[in-house]
Amino acid sequence: MGGSQVSLYLDPQIRDWVLFPITLVMILVGILRHYVVLLLQSPPKKMPRPAIREQRALLRSQILRETSTNSPVPPEYYKSISQELSKAFEAGTYLKDGPPKGDTPSRPPNPLTDPNAMDGMMSGMKTQAVMMVPQMVLMGWINFFFQGFVLIKLPFPLTLGFKSMLQRGIETPDMDVRWVSSLSWYFLNFFGLNGLYRLILGNDNSADGSRDMMMSPYSGPAQTPAQPQDYNKLFKAERDNLELAEALYNWNGKDVELRILRRYGKLST
Amino acid sequence: MATTKEEKARLIYTPNVLHNSSLYTVKFLSSCFAGATAGILGLENWSGFALFLASILFSTGCMYVINCKSRPTNYVAGGVKDLVNPGQDNVFSFVLVWTLFYGIVHVYD
Repeated sequence: MGGSQVSLYLDPQIRDWVLFPITLVMILVGILRHYVVLLLQSPPKKMPRPAIREQRALLRSQILRETSTNSPVPPEYYKSISQELSKAFEAGTYLKDGPPKGDTPSRPPNPLTDPNAMDGMMSGMKTQAVMMVPQMVLMGWINFFFQGFVLIKLPFPLTLGFKSMLQRGIETPDMDVRWVSSLSWYFLNFFGLNGLYRLILGNDNSADGSRDMMMSPYSGPAQTPAQPQDYNKLFKAERDNLELAEALYNWNGKDVELRILRRYGKLST
Repeated sequence: MATTKEEKARLIYTPNVLHNSSLYTVKFLSSCFAGATAGILGLENWSGFALFLASILFSTGCMYVINCKSRPTNYVAGGVKDLVNPGQDNVFSFVLVWTLFYGIVHVYD
């Protein structure tokens, strides 16, 4: 059987009315999906000032500690900031609800009843739903309208196993696997248009279909955010870290005058 | 000088890293044009992928000399290997454009 040598003659109208429209529709649906997700994302809720203050206090001490071994901050400033933060963490002055009463042990708020955490989970689920719907709709549309004919010839060979998937609707047991139906053109576009989306919509676009398929098995149950953090405990831990960093502290401008003199040879060492 | 991994990470200036996206654009466009070339020339099977490989090597060479001035570690974290790697998206884009042009030029009359 000279199956691979014989070339099928395809009507050019197939190219005009199937090939280009499918690609165009997929590009447009991707862009639409990106903007829908963007619109659906509710803006982050404004946090009240005490809550922001408590987060920022933790951040400040982390920034200070980060460079403590080669710190750009002179010793007087470093020590005074470090000690003030330590005292504040101990006394709990930065805590959202004020210093702890002392008798009731503080419990992190229940995620089911805390309204902030619920919003996070809901928006995550909404975006997941939006991502999946266009894929199903497109596949159904293509299967309904563009079924039962050969669309294009792939320039590379594939194994016979792909025949059932790529030649769906064309009942020819002998035809080369390279002649495929429109559904395979859908798959090619599905994977290949991600680069185009990255070019048009920027890096974090939500038009990426294939990335959802890879990510959703893992990130589904793991989406519950670490919202109910007990800042009191965090502050205590941070206080210990601050002490450790203070012990390791080294100003990188220490003896800088000697270093300069040595570099210019004015000081014989 | 910074030797530990953490210290190296601290030295990275984020806006400059974001600017590296121009390199990704170059990679994507070169894979698209390689696909178009392969399709128009009617390359099949391994010769098409050989063209893709050649285009990757050529564009990496250009990026190495022109963009990174022969010092890729200064510009791209990960050095030469990150420059050469086309990324999964670009392979699929190459195949898509290759199939498209092959179909337009050689299959349809």
